[in-house]
Amino acid sequence: MPRRRPLPLTAALLGSVLVVSSCAGAPEPGAGGGAAPTAPDRPWDEVLAEADGQTVDLWMYGGDQQGNAYVDDVLAPAAAERGVTLRRVPVTDTADAVNRVLSELQAGTDDGSVDLVWVNGENFATGRQADAWLCDWTGQLPSMEFVDPEDPLLTSDFGTPVDGCEAPWHKAQFVLAYDSADVADPPTSIEGLLEWAEANPGRFTYPAPPDFTGSAFLRQVLYAVAGGPEEVPAEFDRAALDELGPRLFDRLAGLAPSLWRGGDTYPRDLAALEELYAGDQVDLTMTYGPATLAQQVASGALPASTRVLPLEEGTLGNASFLAVPVNAGDQPGALVVADLALSPEQQLAKADPATWGQYPVVDLDRVPEDVRAGFAALPASPVVPPFEELSGGADPELGAGWVTPLEDGWRSDVLGAG
Amino acid sequence: MTRAAPLRRRAGVAPRVALALVWLALPLVPLVLWAAADRWSFPALLPTAWGLTGWRQAADQGAAAALGRSVLLGLVVAALATPAGAMAGRALALHRVPARRLVEGLLLAPVAVPPFAVVMGLTTLTLRAGIPGTVALVCVLTVSALPYTVFVMRSAYTGYDVGVEEEARTLGAGPRAVLLRVHLPLAAPALATAAFLAFLVGWSDYVVTLVVGGGQLVTLPMLVGALSSATGNDAVVAAVSLTAVLPPLLLLVATALLARRGAR
Repeated sequence: MPRRRPLPLTAALLGSVLVVSSCAGAPEPGAGGGAAPTAPDRPWDEVLAEADGQTVDLWMYGGDQQGNAYVDDVLAPAAAERGVTLRRVPVTDTADAVNRVLSELQAGTDDGSVDLVWVNGENFATGRQADAWLCDWTGQLPSMEFVDPEDPLLTSDFGTPVDGCEAPWHKAQFVLAYDSADVADPPTSIEGLLEWAEANPGRFTYPAPPDFTGSAFLRQVLYAVAGGPEEVPAEFDRAALDELGPRLFDRLAGLAPSLWRGGDTYPRDLAALEELYAGDQVDLTMTYGPATLAQQVASGALPASTRVLPLEEGTLGNASFLAVPVNAGDQPGALVVADLALSPEQQLAKADPATWGQYPVVDLDRVPEDVRAGFAALPASPVVPPFEELSGGADPELGAGWVTPLEDGWRSDVLGAG
Repeated sequence: MTRAAPLRRRAGVAPRVALALVWLALPLVPLVLWAAADRWSFPALLPTAWGLTGWRQAADQGAAAALGRSVLLGLVVAALATPAGAMAGRALALHRVPARRLVEGLLLAPVAVPPFAVVMGLTTLTLRAGIPGTVALVCVLTVSALPYTVFVMRSAYTGYDVGVEEEARTLGAGPRAVLLRVHLPLAAPALATAAFLAFLVGWSDYVVTLVVGGGQLVTLPMLVGALSSATGNDAVVAAVSLTAVLPPLLLLVATALLARRGAR
């Protein structure tokens, strides 16, 4: 999934964009809540013809080697067959791509250097607020027929309505994993997990929010203390935070003394937690990308006895997408690549754990028979259950507006109390 | 007393040089180990499986092409900033410059202003002017390199005897011959140092390449940045980082050799 890290640097950059734009008196795109720009409705053949010979710059988080390899070795050759050259621009943080688009828009550039962005959540919401994304175009993609139009993960992106402003790419599922050699009787719910941690002091911890994974864990526990996802409004709500926040933070502050190092300190990020887990200092780890879990077990970085914790109440799930900036220089080409990426064949190729192991966004009941057979034939992992099982009762993600207040509350009420 | 002093000084130098070398080399040790590690799990002191996976992955991630682009960018910045710096440095050292303080301050300004503070404004500016990303990138980096080249060259020209040039002129050499056979050979060591510093500005830049350059040029720092932001990439990051350390190191040695030859 594209990483979202609220870095001070990012804030500084965004801040300076605003300062510069206000100094220059530039017309703010979409200021005054104008409708988002939409793609002209035209026959797909026309789009294909226009796309022929274009070079599409796909800006994406570049830290995932398998993802990079998939785009370079599988998606790009397939795009070349459709006459489009696909160039991957690796960024440290998806916000870099959004910032580039925003500054181009401020400058009024209509031949933008960003054609396609791998995006979701906060970055998508930022772009929507600025009317930076082309909207209402995904309906033109022939591959959309394989997508379930009612799929809640694909109609709302962390609480922001998708409205055809980004094409689905793949799904992700939050999972907790345990070492079956150490945990004989694994808990089956979040509350059970917290009780297990109290009964086994020092054997559990989580990455300190605002780490992406730690922050997801925070939301997962929030659902548990609230009594289910339906008890938490998807859109950020101050009253709901005032009511639920203390319950969440009290629970986690109460848990702290039972955590690794008595909760005095937390792993700074997922990598640090995985290191603790691999070194048998704790018995559980967690990730929003179960595919990497299977890879790390296969490569020996994590113990072979690692298993995904089966949680009765389900876990957080989300989808990530491909968005096209309104000023993309090679828009038809970008549409063609987005359509290709969504095709059943590409979805199947990407789902293979040996390639990337990303969960498909296409509905398996709608894809051609041979592709369905291909999905069924994908190697089963002893570590991670199949997506069908994993995503059963997937919890919707909270709106992007929740993320920062929860992280701030954790810092003051849990970290401070520990 | 006075005669004993140089001896004592020399005796004190060796341990200090050794200390400096350790200081410089120590951070590279884990890098070298990681670049040769297929697996290195906590709490082992040394890699638990040796191998060249990191280098293979680096090749797969396009490190060779990125290396080429980084070298090119560094060379172009050096080629632009060094002559400009030499001219400004010579003027400041040997001629009367109106509003000297102001000129010096302006030339030094790019060092005082951190790139990420101005990069967004510069991006808007260059986009509005319709300058292609890569050209804008080279311009911005050249200006960032100017303070280094100007001040290296200014101090070089401060100790430069223009009389030598005048003498050559009196002996019948034309301006071209003076430049090529007197001026440049004398300035060569300082020019090499200035060019080296300018090269480093282009070589190590991340934020300008990304934001002003608009991702058109994927250089080594961009590759390191992207790869190091994820877990489990230690080996490939180490391999790419070592690739990024070597060329400046080689250039440093070359510059030092040139400077020593010039000093003789």
